[in-house]
Amino acid sequence: MTEEAKKPGAIGIPGILKGLATTARTMAKPTHTAEYPHAQPHLPPRSRGVIALLEENCTSCMLCARECPDWCIYIDSHKETIPATTPGGRERQRNVLDRFAIDFSLCMYCGICIEVCPFDALHWSPEFEYSELDIRDLLHEKDRLGQWMPTVPPPSALDEHSAEAAEIGATTRPGRLVRTTPARPAPTRATPSGQEPPPASGQEPPPPTASEPAPEPGE
Amino acid sequence: MTTTEGRRELTVGMGAGGLATADMVLNIGPQHPATHGVLRLRIVVDGERIVSAEPIVGYMHRGAEKLFEVRDYRQIIVLANRHDWLSAFSSELGVVLGVERMLGMEVPERAVWARTLLAELNRVLNHLMFLGSYPLELGAITPIFYAFREREELQAVMEEASGGRMHYMFNRVGGLKEDLPAGWLDRVAYAVQAVRGRLPDLEALIVGNEILEARTRGVGIVTPETIAAYGVSGPIARAAGVDMDLRRDEPYLAYGELFADSGPGRVVTRTAGDCLARLEVLLEQVHVSLDLAEACLDRLRTLPQGPVNVKLPKVLKVPEGDLYTATENPLGFNGYYLVSRGEKTPWRLKLRSASFNNVAVLAEVLPGNLIADMVAILGSMFFVVGDVDK
Repeated sequence: MTEEAKKPGAIGIPGILKGLATTARTMAKPTHTAEYPHAQPHLPPRSRGVIALLEENCTSCMLCARECPDWCIYIDSHKETIPATTPGGRERQRNVLDRFAIDFSLCMYCGICIEVCPFDALHWSPEFEYSELDIRDLLHEKDRLGQWMPTVPPPSALDEHSAEAAEIGATTRPGRLVRTTPARPAPTRATPSGQEPPPASGQEPPPPTASEPAPEPGE
Repeated sequence: MTTTEGRRELTVGMGAGGLATADMVLNIGPQHPATHGVLRLRIVVDGERIVSAEPIVGYMHRGAEKLFEVRDYRQIIVLANRHDWLSAFSSELGVVLGVERMLGMEVPERAVWARTLLAELNRVLNHLMFLGSYPLELGAITPIFYAFREREELQAVMEEASGGRMHYMFNRVGGLKEDLPAGWLDRVAYAVQAVRGRLPDLEALIVGNEILEARTRGVGIVTPETIAAYGVSGPIARAAGVDMDLRRDEPYLAYGELFADSGPGRVVTRTAGDCLARLEVLLEQVHVSLDLAEACLDRLRTLPQGPVNVKLPKVLKVPEGDLYTATENPLGFNGYYLVSRGEKTPWRLKLRSASFNNVAVLAEVLPGNLIADMVAILGSMFFVVGDVDK
């Protein structure tokens, strides 16, 4: 303070003048801000705005609800028996989703539910304009979550140095044993990394691509 | 106690012999415009001079350490990037580095360099925040607009890669969540160039400003002894001449190479230890971090094709044992002491956060100063209350 005070009065304030010059220069330039409600922000595809649900893909396996760090996903389902389609055939059971709700007042927007979903039923959408006057309205039921689906952008292309997609690796790899059910992917893949067996939830194991770092739809 | 020669005499018109003054207890906070967040300071003042000060913490205690114990290592990242919301990437990094070390996991090289790049960008974001908010606390409104313009530039690229603007959630055990988007490196290079090109604007408002210097020079001097006693770290310690930076001293990620003799990394230090020195360290560290970011970009462009993460088992369990992992967060040392009993959740995960120690030292620094300087000193400790209270 003392050194500065020694300088003569009005001429001895070059630092402040320098700052004022910057302000004057900036004033002459076009503004870098955008007036939000009129100018919409450009958000990247990975932007974590809201979670969209593709209901057809959901098998009510509860993985997302269990992995959620603050348990803000509510799922109700029941089992239905599908009668045999052919005479003498077997009856089949399937899960029917009754309720799928995400409480966005609790959600921490971590994206773990989307990451763990083995069937790509959940997707991030960059939409963010869903504030409510009543906190209870932030509980989005499955129809509302489904409405976000059209806003889900395609995933961005990956960096040129990224590892090749698992699908490409699978096609170029030497052939495997003969598949017995060609319509469905084989239940377990003979990956060299020693993938653990699928979770013991009585569910169909995930298709091989779901847990790969490869481009995931909607991510 | 601060040195008495640092005291500036207060001359207030008083009657002969002065007034008989009684010490008064003054509460600053927990809600106060001069504290960012809910830090409470109970200071005892004699007139305008502070006799003693006590930071009272805990208003934002969220029990993060206890919550860590019931979450697996992916869910912990959600919490780990929240205690210090301005250094989210660096904080998540500490968790995953610790787990990787305990697992003996080899992280792909591209992930290492991408992490280093993102950590340095995060450091710039953090420092720009304080470079804007500190003058604001001193009464200068303008710099924060410039700081936020640069922050926006960098936040845009961070959001493009991670999807988040503050809580990135981009680290995973074994690497990153997903690969970088195509063309992202070019956009980062552009953003770094833009920030570097416009940084003189911000500097023009801060460096050499007589009012700012008058408020900060010689105010709130922290001595190296106090720093050692209170475990102060980061820019505050370096501003007092404590040459200590984990990026150089205990290299993690790619810092060993970056801080080698010919590398772009260097540790910024000052000797004065006052508020101005702390601000100068912050400003210069922005330049260093931008240099480091550019070095990371160059490296990422030349690295061969490869993954950014390793395949994890469905249930990730960390072998029994314990390990302390410290990283140089933008605000100082950030450490996680991980004790595992072989479960998929930690048995204990102790969090050592930088701001806690940096705020604790206020009890030493504030006494002897004037109330008007209190705000200058408080702001120059560069803390995040979430990081104090955990």
